[in-house]
Amino acid sequence: MIRLAVKDLRLFFRDRRSMILTFAIPIVLMTIFAFAFGGVGKTRQSNKITLLVSDLDNTPLSKKAILQLDSLKSIQLQAVTLEEAEESIKKGNRSCVLVIHIGFSDSLIKGAELPLELRYDEARGIEVGLIQQSLVPTIAMLPFNLLNSKQMIGNRLARMAGINDPKAKEAIKTQSDHLYDAISDGILRSGKRDKVNIASNFMGGDIKMTKLVRSTNDNQLGLIQAVAGTAVMWLLFSVVGVGMSILDEKHEGTLTRLLYTPTNPVNILFSKMISANVISILQLLIMFLFASLAFGLEIYSNLGGMLINIIATAFACSSFGILLASLAKNRSQVQGLSILIILVMSAIGGSMIPLIFMPSFMQKIAVVSVNYWSIQGFYDIFWRNFSIFNPTFISRISVLILIGIILNILAVIMFKKNILKLT
Amino acid sequence: MIEVKSLTKSYNGRKALKGINFTIQTGELYGLLGPNGAGKTTIISIMSSILDADSGEVTIGRYNLSTDAKSVKKVIGVVPQEIALYNELTAYENLLFWGGLYQVPGKELSNRANELLNLFGLEDRKNDKVGNYSGGMKRRINIAAALLHRPKVLFMDEPTVGIDPQSRNLIFEMIEKLHSQGMTIVYTTHYMEEAERFCNRIGIIDNGQIIAEGTLDELKSTISTKEIINITFSNINEEKANEIKSFWSDAKQSDTSILFKSSNVKFDLSKLVLKCNQIGLDITNVEIMKVNLETIFLNLTGKQLRD
Repeated sequence: MIRLAVKDLRLFFRDRRSMILTFAIPIVLMTIFAFAFGGVGKTRQSNKITLLVSDLDNTPLSKKAILQLDSLKSIQLQAVTLEEAEESIKKGNRSCVLVIHIGFSDSLIKGAELPLELRYDEARGIEVGLIQQSLVPTIAMLPFNLLNSKQMIGNRLARMAGINDPKAKEAIKTQSDHLYDAISDGILRSGKRDKVNIASNFMGGDIKMTKLVRSTNDNQLGLIQAVAGTAVMWLLFSVVGVGMSILDEKHEGTLTRLLYTPTNPVNILFSKMISANVISILQLLIMFLFASLAFGLEIYSNLGGMLINIIATAFACSSFGILLASLAKNRSQVQGLSILIILVMSAIGGSMIPLIFMPSFMQKIAVVSVNYWSIQGFYDIFWRNFSIFNPTFISRISVLILIGIILNILAVIMFKKNILKLT
Repeated sequence: MIEVKSLTKSYNGRKALKGINFTIQTGELYGLLGPNGAGKTTIISIMSSILDADSGEVTIGRYNLSTDAKSVKKVIGVVPQEIALYNELTAYENLLFWGGLYQVPGKELSNRANELLNLFGLEDRKNDKVGNYSGGMKRRINIAAALLHRPKVLFMDEPTVGIDPQSRNLIFEMIEKLHSQGMTIVYTTHYMEEAERFCNRIGIIDNGQIIAEGTLDELKSTISTKEIINITFSNINEEKANEIKSFWSDAKQSDTSILFKSSNVKFDLSKLVLKCNQIGLDITNVEIMKVNLETIFLNLTGKQLRD
């Protein structure tokens, strides 16, 4: 019995594919998820989300306010002009911008509503929601932290009561001193959350929310993520299967027989490419059609854009599958390699976890994966309502096609080197 | 028609072909006979332009292989050693596919496919998937797939390996029919019966070299004797082997056996048995072999074809 078990273990440890599946893939995925959910490092802090801020007020108080917001643990501020910010959001690079409008200082001093606005991309609602939640308490505390609070409370009470008479104002001011003492006492005795609640109840802390990039359907964010993410990941697995038919043909002798015919050897590879593309396009179409019928995904508003993105995605993915088959010497090598590469690409490219949860360096790495460009393309079409002539959408399609061309060139080289070698 | 000059090929430093020369006339059925690993498939691979020779020259018809491989591919048909068909396609679909690669026009291709299916006795099963065929039926379709474009030259690389007698006979009849129609055929095999049955000329190949070539009669005439006595011993050693070999004018050792040429087998066998007794060689087997390709090969190399 022990002898049999030892034999099984020996076979297991000699099988590279089993080793990759058992140890390498879980470790790689665990690492990616650890980075994604911010559990890495001694401080164990969550990843900071970058928030653009455009200071139109440009006063000492607005600058102090920015410093206060910058001290938040979950947010990293990046000062830009309003034009730059809007451009970045429209391209899908950032989710929102906090605009500090002219009159911020005056409003703060007068105890009026603060002219703060969050202009955002509706497609990134989850990220915007997180930012808004982080901002509100700090904004509510701004009057207490930046001003002579007694004066501010007096002004606020006067505004709340709608009183303009100087004598009445003076009376309120006297009373407000007592009120301030009471609020301060309450704040001092309260925990952090209650302190903010008291400040919020008294001061407000609302931010005007403005959709800069609109979606026609407010309930589709998660659906698009689920459909596009899953579709692209499984497409990669499917095309690897098509690519592997090259190795099957080599094994079964039909590849050699094809070489006996007057057919150009490279055409054999391109024929695989064509069939992989057709299958890929069909697979994506059926998946989106199913998502439309079963879950109500709105695909008909920009059918042209969807088709273009599907074709570009199919081309890039098919090229990846063909390259992988050209690189490997046998079927089991392809299977091991493909599982590793596809899962890693899908994890960093946004198929498994939305990119907003990733730290910024991983968001930068994401651009090396086909998944990233394809999923962003689907967001452009279904969420950002970009037309097929939108420069951002065109750039994503161009990248997918470029990836396909590069992978194809590599596949031809490797096909000649590995597959056609009969010796 | 086919001219092969000074062909050499090495794999990882091992010489697979050591200067192969032969000429085949139009309409000839030429057999390349040799054991496994002798270099037969390497020659076919080079002649069909899927493998580059290290040196040498191949001319098929008026085309030189090194300068006009595409034209060569159009006039040749190749029956590979392994069954190279798509199991998920029917026999008819397979034939249409392979014929299509030679640009045979649609209607003509369809007629040709049906003609071949009829010829190979598979018309009734034409719409069955090849994966459901027996080994012999697959072999027949494997040959038919090389004939759709009516090649002038047919290379057949051991086309009867692992086949049932019925299919083998059908294939033999087909080869004879194609030959009678004037097709030039290069047939590799390690079965001497096949080479003897229908090859006009035979090249015997061993260890990357053609060691004898000619018609069957010409090859037989290289051995002056009528028979070969093959005696196997249980206790042969170098001393005893040298003693018995010095006793007989033309003897060759092959492992524990020694081959003795004989023109009068009854007389020679008694002499040999007596001598073996004197030397102390224990005989375990005696085989009297008529002169054929097998014995010619044995005589030339000291090995059997199936070694």
